[in-house]
Amino acid sequence: MASLTKSGVVYDARGLVEPDPEPPMTAQIDGDSAVIDATDLSTRKINLELKRIVYDEGVNNVTILNPGSKHSLGVGILKRCNITFEGSPGWYACGLIDGPEVQINGRVGWSLGENMMSGSVVVEGPSGSLTGAALRGGDLVIKGNVGARTGIDQKGGTIIATGSAGINTGFMMQRGRQIICGDANDGLGDSMYDGIIYVGGKIASLGVDCVPGEMDDSDVEFINRKFEIYGLGTPPELKKFVCGKVLHNYDSLEPSERKLVL
Amino acid sequence: MKSIAIDAEVLAGKRFEYQEDMSLVEDLDLMELTPGKDLNWLEDIHLLEEDDTPAVFDRNSNSFIKIYFDIPEGREDEIARKVLMKHLISGNSYGIQLKEIHCKYHQVELGPWVADSKSVGDNWTPPVLEGWEPPAH
Repeated sequence: MASLTKSGVVYDARGLVEPDPEPPMTAQIDGDSAVIDATDLSTRKINLELKRIVYDEGVNNVTILNPGSKHSLGVGILKRCNITFEGSPGWYACGLIDGPEVQINGRVGWSLGENMMSGSVVVEGPSGSLTGAALRGGDLVIKGNVGARTGIDQKGGTIIATGSAGINTGFMMQRGRQIICGDANDGLGDSMYDGIIYVGGKIASLGVDCVPGEMDDSDVEFINRKFEIYGLGTPPELKKFVCGKVLHNYDSLEPSERKLVL
Repeated sequence: MKSIAIDAEVLAGKRFEYQEDMSLVEDLDLMELTPGKDLNWLEDIHLLEEDDTPAVFDRNSNSFIKIYFDIPEGREDEIARKVLMKHLISGNSYGIQLKEIHCKYHQVELGPWVADSKSVGDNWTPPVLEGWEPPAH
């Protein structure tokens, strides 16, 4: 799957089979800030350069220009820093991160922030399916719609979408919170084990064992705080959904077995 | 009887002082230790119970850190978070200790909560089992 860039550089668009592990050393570093122009760089080269700047150079503010919807950008950054994408990354952007605060001035494809541990990712546009898949902690803020199975297997953290969400949002969710300001398609919270989903618009249908919950003061405090932090204005009127716990069967486990499961 | 405990103190072979003395964790600034303008990932950390003892779960080592001092009413989650962060920034989490040996790629040893933590994982080589030969095929 060779690709041709503006300058004629050929690379594998999937980021595969690129044995050269050396960063391109093309970033412009100015004190505590750096700019990477990703135009002619492959996925691996962009990530190598990003890690070099953040880890080796100790730069805390990195801007990536022209990400060109390349996949798997900004993954595996395990340090607190600020990363800005001027443009749209592709699939699997910012997965497995632990600490960075990311601003994406564009849109993103599938699996944004997959398995993210901490930090934040703010997207100034829509996000594809599987947004926040297996999210462990931190905040994902999408200023637009999110696709199907958003927050699938979510284990913590917060997903906020100012638009609507696709089918099976919150599928098998285990912990954490989602705020969907718009509508939610069929199967909301299907087979969720725990966690909370707030929805502002219409819900096509609830999934198995997803039931309405009672809003309390802590819910209101949480929603208002997140909206204020991310400058999202006044929150819409939200309905709360939680797990009905009909599918729970943990209590049949012996305590010792439960320890092994953990 | 074979122990199946997954407590932090069992993994470490000792109990840590901050499990018994609240004054050792009181001064921690949780906002400073976490990204963003609130507690971020720490929001998911709550005081739990293990073997009838208050405890906080450390996801880095899949173990409970038991808390033996009296926790003031209304501060349960705050104290649990402070004990956890003290455990992490001190490098006492068993998961962090394993990084030095097993990390296969570059990362900071203590995690994102300590700014000047050393790097590990740069020079990992696969362990070689003595006497083992790769199959001929």
